[in-house]
Amino acid sequence: MARDEMVDGKGGLRPQWRNLLGVLAGLGHGVLAERAKRLDRVMEEEGVASLLPGSPPDPWRFDPIPLPLSQWEFSKLEAGLTQRAQLLEAILADLYGPQRLLAEGALPAPLVYANPAFLRPCRRASGEAPNDLLQFYAADLMRAPDGNWHVLADRTGLADGLAHALQNRRRLGRVLPELFGSQLLCHIEPFVEICLDMIQRISPADSGDTGRSALLTPGHQDPAWYGHVLLARELSCALVEGGDLTVRDGGLFLKTLRGLQRIGVLLRGTDGGSVDPLELEPDGVGVAGLLAAARDHVRIVNNPGSGLAEAPALAAFLPELARRLLREDLALPSVPTEWLGHETAREKVMRNPNDWRLRPAFESALPPATLSAMAETNRRAMLDRVAAAPWRFAASAVLEPSVAPCLDGDKMVPRPVLVRMFLVRDRTGWRAMPGGLGCVLQDEVPAWPSAGQVLAKDVWVLAENPAAIEGPAANRTGTLAIRRTAGDMPSRVADNFFWLGRYLERLEAAARLLMIAIGRVSRPAPTPHEMAELEVLIDCLTQAGLLNAEAITGLGTAALGHALLKAAGSWGAIHAMLGRVSHMTGLLRDQVTGEMHAVTARGLREVEYALGRIDNRRDGQALDATAQAMSRVLAFSATLSGLAAENMVRGGGRLFLDLGRRVERAQAVADQIACTLEFPGVAQQPARIEHGLRLALELCDSSITYRSRYLAVLQPAPALDLLLADDGNPRGLAFQLVAMRALLSEIASGGDNALATAAAALQDEPQAMVRSISDAADQSVAALFLPARLRALRDAVAELSDRVSRRYFALLPTARTVGIDAPSRPLRGAA
Amino acid sequence: MIYRVRHVTRYDYQTPVNLGAHLAHLRPRALPHQRVLRAGVHAAPAVSWRRDGSDHFGNDVTWLFLDVAHAAFQVIADAVVDVTFPAPPDPAATPPWETVAGDAWAAGGAAWQAAEFLFDSPRAPANGDAKAYAAASFPPGRPVLAALLDLNARIRRDFTFRSGVTTTSTPIAEVLRRREGVCQDFTHLMISVLRSFGLPARYVSGYIRTRPSHGKTQRLGADQSHAWVGAWLGPEHGWLDLDPTNGIVVQDEHVVLGWGRDFGDVTPLRGVILGGGEQVLSVEVELEEAEA
Repeated sequence: MARDEMVDGKGGLRPQWRNLLGVLAGLGHGVLAERAKRLDRVMEEEGVASLLPGSPPDPWRFDPIPLPLSQWEFSKLEAGLTQRAQLLEAILADLYGPQRLLAEGALPAPLVYANPAFLRPCRRASGEAPNDLLQFYAADLMRAPDGNWHVLADRTGLADGLAHALQNRRRLGRVLPELFGSQLLCHIEPFVEICLDMIQRISPADSGDTGRSALLTPGHQDPAWYGHVLLARELSCALVEGGDLTVRDGGLFLKTLRGLQRIGVLLRGTDGGSVDPLELEPDGVGVAGLLAAARDHVRIVNNPGSGLAEAPALAAFLPELARRLLREDLALPSVPTEWLGHETAREKVMRNPNDWRLRPAFESALPPATLSAMAETNRRAMLDRVAAAPWRFAASAVLEPSVAPCLDGDKMVPRPVLVRMFLVRDRTGWRAMPGGLGCVLQDEVPAWPSAGQVLAKDVWVLAENPAAIEGPAANRTGTLAIRRTAGDMPSRVADNFFWLGRYLERLEAAARLLMIAIGRVSRPAPTPHEMAELEVLIDCLTQAGLLNAEAITGLGTAALGHALLKAAGSWGAIHAMLGRVSHMTGLLRDQVTGEMHAVTARGLREVEYALGRIDNRRDGQALDATAQAMSRVLAFSATLSGLAAENMVRGGGRLFLDLGRRVERAQAVADQIACTLEFPGVAQQPARIEHGLRLALELCDSSITYRSRYLAVLQPAPALDLLLADDGNPRGLAFQLVAMRALLSEIASGGDNALATAAAALQDEPQAMVRSISDAADQSVAALFLPARLRALRDAVAELSDRVSRRYFALLPTARTVGIDAPSRPLRGAA
Repeated sequence: MIYRVRHVTRYDYQTPVNLGAHLAHLRPRALPHQRVLRAGVHAAPAVSWRRDGSDHFGNDVTWLFLDVAHAAFQVIADAVVDVTFPAPPDPAATPPWETVAGDAWAAGGAAWQAAEFLFDSPRAPANGDAKAYAAASFPPGRPVLAALLDLNARIRRDFTFRSGVTTTSTPIAEVLRRREGVCQDFTHLMISVLRSFGLPARYVSGYIRTRPSHGKTQRLGADQSHAWVGAWLGPEHGWLDLDPTNGIVVQDEHVVLGWGRDFGDVTPLRGVILGGGEQVLSVEVELEEAEA
């Protein structure tokens, strides 16, 4: 019978639940369910999940009912976990040092030598015990029916879930503030301060004032990526990928806009084996030479070799090792575990196979298998595998985890739960976060889900004496050292901002163009002049990638309308552009504020919804729905620009976002004006240029400005002055060029200004073009010469954009391994 | 016997390499039966950072880092060593192979380090066919060295030494099917088999004298790096090196660089480069007898 966390089985409530349950009961019918929905929505907007509908659901969901622990219980757990952390560290120090445990037979050799997590390059050849193996430690715990806690899994990775626990506490405070009024609670924020202090403290002295910390992530396709984003933010360190880093002169460096920046501490969000393709897995995501650098000048947290301590089979030896290495009894036991490499253990397990769950001896990510729950053939196959290599397996006792109330619809139901707790090393020893992350189990096997959804819970530690609330951490850590946060942006991030700017602008321009075109095809009987306008628009639409010109030529407005609907509809060009914007926003999740991300997420969903309404409608209605959807797109783009201007610090990101927009718009404007100046028939009848100019003003959203300046008289020089040379017109060409120059010189900030100079050189051309018109005897004829010059200017802008990419973004090229595994090269002898 | 070894590795790149990081196992390790009189590793162009140290197995290692653009990279390893391998024990006096396997598994006392070489490694995984091929050499109760010598001789007899048919990543199964390959392939094959029978086996990287001195047999090895097997004969006799490519026990014609579980642990020169395009690798080894 599983233990119940809330009730004591004798009709009473456990004391730590009293206040909490009182508040929950007082909320009123349906309130809790409604708040749970709000919690889901908040999570959605914070962008844990991908932004586009239809993408896989977020791996994390949160149950609104916390799991309270008494302070007394927490203190016991903290003491037990501290001892385990010390023990694991002592074991690792021996195994990566003198290996006395193996020499003296205290630990069977296969547990180390057959374990892929034993990384030989991390061992000191001298046999000297390293002392920098663990800074973080986490454990997955369950409470057995007898009320005692057991450790299910020891974790030496990068505190996976810590950032989620912090986030969740804040979210819950926002969505269910009533809960927090009922009692005093230990704060978990001070734990972050201890982590920050640790990073500061262990940073190698020679990495100096400029030495920064960085979090190495495998990248956005990794399931843990969002956790890395959050954690990097909590710990004020740069989120980096292997390609952002390089080892020079024995030090580790991050490629930033300002050049190489020294990294003193690298938090490892990857497997230990993948951090250095030179010495470890050749196809790893890390950086070549990292281990060599880490021997002197960089601290990797946790040490790449520390994964060895996660081996499930190790649990069988911990009680004995605790006595041997710490001269203490193990205070907080593991779930009873046997290593099947020992014959006695094998016999014990096989005598009562239903009391045990089998699991790989070295692989902690795989869940244990219950023999009694397996089909006969699977069971036989499993037992054969064990018989063939018993040392590859461990068995842990079947133990039922405790249950805690979880929200199901509007009812509370008891469900089995696990608790993950986090520890960090401070100046004096190990400190546990007074709280944790609960996990509601979906099936009977107690193991933290390694794939699929985690339904998580906030774990509370109730504060019983007021001193605990003040934040013991702050008292103990003393004065915090001043931190230098990531001021310099990794090149990859700047690159992403630049492209977000370009994609946003491209999306906006496409929407504007579609709106204008749709306005024309929906007119019942177009005049010849309107048909001519359509021709120009088709050119523009084709240039913008919204239409395939050949498929349209010679067809009527109905066919054009159809093509426009296709471009705007669910799987059309607009949708694809939206996808790119969404992808970039996702990649930049760690760089923008929560508000900005929430607005983007909501905006994208609304636009997506509006696009969906275009499909399955009859022509007239569909065109109408398209016009509405496009105005949604424009509103979305305007909102985002406004937010960027109001919210983003005028640092690297904002500058590159803006630069991307300007580069894109300058090219589009030059292109579109060139098209309009080639209005059908102008070659024969230059006066027809007036129609082109009118369309150009419309495309550049400048008709109203023109009218307010010149009333109804449309002439080439004034119109082109407004469109090309007036640097006060944000839709005109000159404005983009002036802005590009200003942005580039701000980005260079006193450094190499060559790009700003190149941009400045471009500014003269639009002025010269307009002068050539106004000085001409016949302005209309002179305008015939502009398209070629406009296209040349467009190409010059594109070239400048390439130079920007090379100067600031050029990422380190992909590294390749030589000397081993070169299948194309025939071997002569053994090279 | 004193040997002078000169080992030149050269990469020519199609386009310049901007960054290179290399790890060399090119200095012979000192052993009771191998005195290292001189050992040096020189790189061209000059490296920007270098580190000399040793690895988990006790082999000497050199890290070489380059951060200026270079179109070619050359490493010259130069060494003078004095080798006097002890004579192997009398095969009949060695314990039955099952006993050795039992001692290795128990990993107690002197055996604890040998236990490292009992398990699959990336390039020498267990292979059922290979084990079946070798079974004839391991009848119950046979003294371990007798079994090893028999297997060593069978591989020499049954397999053809042929360069160019295999690469550094050819799996054992294919070598077994083709019945041909180079020293590295035969070594991985034999290691895999010995481990299947519970016997610790390690990969030894080094050199062999291929030009016979007066009155001796020409040895196979193509004037390049060589590889052979280190096998464990139990706590009393310790490790013995066998060269399946030549079907002999290693005595005075070999120079040891280092050892590991397989080629991956002691690759003479491996690296990670940025840029470079196509590359041409050339390796030259000269080994000659020298005066003391």
